[in-house]
Amino acid sequence: MKNTITTLLILAVFSIGTIAQEKGSVLIQNATLMTITDGIIENGDVLIVDGVITAIGTDLSAPSGVSVVDGTGKYVMPGIIDAHSHLNTVSTNEARNPVTAEVTMEESINPNSVSIYRALAGGVTSIHLMHGSANVIGGQGETLKLRYGVTQDEMRFDGAKRTIKFALGENPTRVHGQGNGIQPRTRMGVEQIIRSHFDEAIDYRIKREAYLAAKEAYEGDKRGRTAPPVPVAKNLRYDVLNDIIDGEILVHCHSYRADEILMLMRVFNDYGIRNYTFQHANEAFKVAPEIAKNGAYTSVFADWWAYKFEVYYSTAYNATILNENGVTNSINSDSNELIRHLNHEAAKTVRYGETSEADALKMITINPAKQLGIDEMVGSLEIGKQGDVAIWSGHPLSIYSKVEHTYVDGKKYFDLYMDPVDMRIAVDSEDSYTEAGFNTFIQGREEDSCMSDVFELIQQ
Amino acid sequence: MKIKTTFVGMASFLVMLLAWPLMPTMAQEVPAHAITNVTIHMADGATLENADIVWRNGVIEQIGVNESIPFDAFIIDGGDSLHVYPGLIDGMATWGSPETPRDLPRLENPGKPPYDRAGAQPQRIPEHYLNEDKAFEAAMKAGFTLVALGLDGQMLPGHVQPFNVSAPKLTQAHVFANPLALQGSFETAPGGWGSGAYPSTQMGVMAYFRQLMYDATALQEHMMYFEKHSEMTQPEQNDVLEALFPLVNKEYPLYFEVDSKEEIERLFRLQDEFGFDVVLVSAKEASALSNELKARNIAVLASLDVADMPDWLEKEKKEAKKGDEEGSESDEQGDSKDADDSEDAETEELTEEELMFRSKQKEAWVKQINNVSALLDAGIPTGFTSAGLSPKELQQKVNLITENSILTKNDIVKLMTVHNSNILGISNRVGTIKEGSSAHLILTDGPLFEKGTKIHIQVSQGVINDFMED
Repeated sequence: MKNTITTLLILAVFSIGTIAQEKGSVLIQNATLMTITDGIIENGDVLIVDGVITAIGTDLSAPSGVSVVDGTGKYVMPGIIDAHSHLNTVSTNEARNPVTAEVTMEESINPNSVSIYRALAGGVTSIHLMHGSANVIGGQGETLKLRYGVTQDEMRFDGAKRTIKFALGENPTRVHGQGNGIQPRTRMGVEQIIRSHFDEAIDYRIKREAYLAAKEAYEGDKRGRTAPPVPVAKNLRYDVLNDIIDGEILVHCHSYRADEILMLMRVFNDYGIRNYTFQHANEAFKVAPEIAKNGAYTSVFADWWAYKFEVYYSTAYNATILNENGVTNSINSDSNELIRHLNHEAAKTVRYGETSEADALKMITINPAKQLGIDEMVGSLEIGKQGDVAIWSGHPLSIYSKVEHTYVDGKKYFDLYMDPVDMRIAVDSEDSYTEAGFNTFIQGREEDSCMSDVFELIQQ
Repeated sequence: MKIKTTFVGMASFLVMLLAWPLMPTMAQEVPAHAITNVTIHMADGATLENADIVWRNGVIEQIGVNESIPFDAFIIDGGDSLHVYPGLIDGMATWGSPETPRDLPRLENPGKPPYDRAGAQPQRIPEHYLNEDKAFEAAMKAGFTLVALGLDGQMLPGHVQPFNVSAPKLTQAHVFANPLALQGSFETAPGGWGSGAYPSTQMGVMAYFRQLMYDATALQEHMMYFEKHSEMTQPEQNDVLEALFPLVNKEYPLYFEVDSKEEIERLFRLQDEFGFDVVLVSAKEASALSNELKARNIAVLASLDVADMPDWLEKEKKEAKKGDEEGSESDEQGDSKDADDSEDAETEELTEEELMFRSKQKEAWVKQINNVSALLDAGIPTGFTSAGLSPKELQQKVNLITENSILTKNDIVKLMTVHNSNILGISNRVGTIKEGSSAHLILTDGPLFEKGTKIHIQVSQGVINDFMED
């Protein structure tokens, strides 16, 4: 009986997410502000009104109706952005063709995954929900705001650039070459898949445009002297590839080895593709100057490697070396466990490579924001940016610090002091409690989460 | 002229002579049938006591009290105690469908599968594919007289076509009407891991579906051009794409089997892009999107196969009931206060987390049980599909729903008759008992779906199946 009352109380106090995309207002006072782009402000205030940072300074007063949080002794930093995540996918890999540019993670979002809440508890406010790495050209990604409790559509980060996943090396050759006996079987084949598909897409565009022009002429010719064209069907896959060539879609490429990183830059230079990010990129440090010269970005692990052959040559100094060479680098999780403490991952760059604390924090905030095309909106504490912030109990790079509150659009989605034991939104009426798997959610880092859905395929 | 006429007259006479053995099947010669002295349940729930009903040639001719029964009518006497209901309609089933093939061979290039291996077979029409299936007889015994049949498959299994359920094996002779929709789902390509193909995910299915629609659009245009310009390249023959023309042209609805709220939202995206009408099939979480369904004018053929009560909840209810019976007479139905005693008897230590889990699970279950009533409340045209349940299971689910939602057994009858016929667009012929309607009836010895009620006779488009004979 007592338990029931407690449950009801908790439910009543913490009923989340019935109102969609709600924007909030809050004044956080007297905290240490890690602005990311403008240094550290001691004893500073941040005012968020209707989801937007409207003032940063000292001695700010709250407009009427705006709640005030005492930040004395606390640290405020922009919400962490994870540039590589499969946090709440419905499925991750459409692994049956080496090129699946037409599929999109926008249509594979599970808004009810409790992992969203756990990421919020790590101070994360945005993620780049990615397709897996089974295919050379995988599906399009979707940048999400972790508004736990809203619909799949309302999770989408409005105004974020479109992205797409590419993958080089062992994964696509394993799935398609070894798995199905088709191209690509080798790294050379991977390159040719990219080139041939871009070429096909360009060819398609020429034909499609010619058809549309001829159709217009035919339909406009009232005297009926023009012959009709043979229709060229709209092709979703090629349309997306052309959007990549046109720079409307940012490529995020799963890669490890230096040689394949160089290869992709050569290919992209041939097609005039800019603003792309190498994901994982464990050997990127070897070609850091080349990456910088091409204006490419990297998004790496702090110290995770040796989970397959192509990932042996690695170093914990990767991020630091890239950073020192002027490459905009981010630290990502690619893991539902790691995402809860990306601050530690960033701190490792300070520990190993003596990267400055300021730069380390950039690697989980403004830098991933740049890689996702959302840096005008989030990634730092700046007036006019969106109110995605986290309040930390201490310095965010300290192993002892905890996230106390996480805000998205000025609305609080995580509160350490009001944190019920069960934050699931959707419980299936046929699940048994023990089988619901809630308590066994994290058993360490997944071996290779980019390959989820495809291991069975490979084993065939 | 005169001679000619005579010749024609002679010829017709000869034809009639030759056709003599076939005559009984011709319209005028078919004797009438009548069920007399029964309680007739009309679609609106009203009843007609001591009434008679007469049909001939599959069409109801008379309903009323003290009707003059035609001299040639076979009469079934209801003997005052029997009930006539409109025949039940299953909004969507795949009885008689060929099974989806197993052990498919591995494809050389799973990325470019043939249409059927991708799960796209929209060209299939049930009347050409029906197999023997025990389900037909079971359905007849359960009171179904009409079914909208689809086929088992994946993303686009085929057409939806209504059939009279009048024989244990349905053939083309039992077709009630032409196909009225295409079937769809988010089911991925068949074959499993070993022999699967693209699309293997829901996002893949969505992309593939779009591409099919684009390809069909282009082919249709090509065919239209070719009709006027035979000198141009001839369009390809492609029955799969051609079957999608009605969808491209928004002439056909898509009967889409989908359950979760998120998946229904994904279907909305496709609908927005292509503009076809949609009927949701199964749709266990549809009521979560009532407003949107209403705005889109989407009807729902809800699955009767709702989830059973979670075990722990059933146990809790039983114990509460026991507590009620044992304790002092309590007025309200057993709630947890009354159940305190029995809870103590079997102390189940639950963590706070499990308690929350249960509370959420109960909420989810209650929502599912109330899905249809919520849809009806919101003014969404809603009917039922039996979802492959056996008659026994069907009865269990009807009990579950009526015991745990505001729906009554009469409501269920309505949902499975007039509502379904409205959604299927065949309400001018079935779903209600009225003169001029097709004779789809059942004769029972008590109120339908009540315990102990047996179905004596099932009439599907005039064809009688008597279950009390054996």
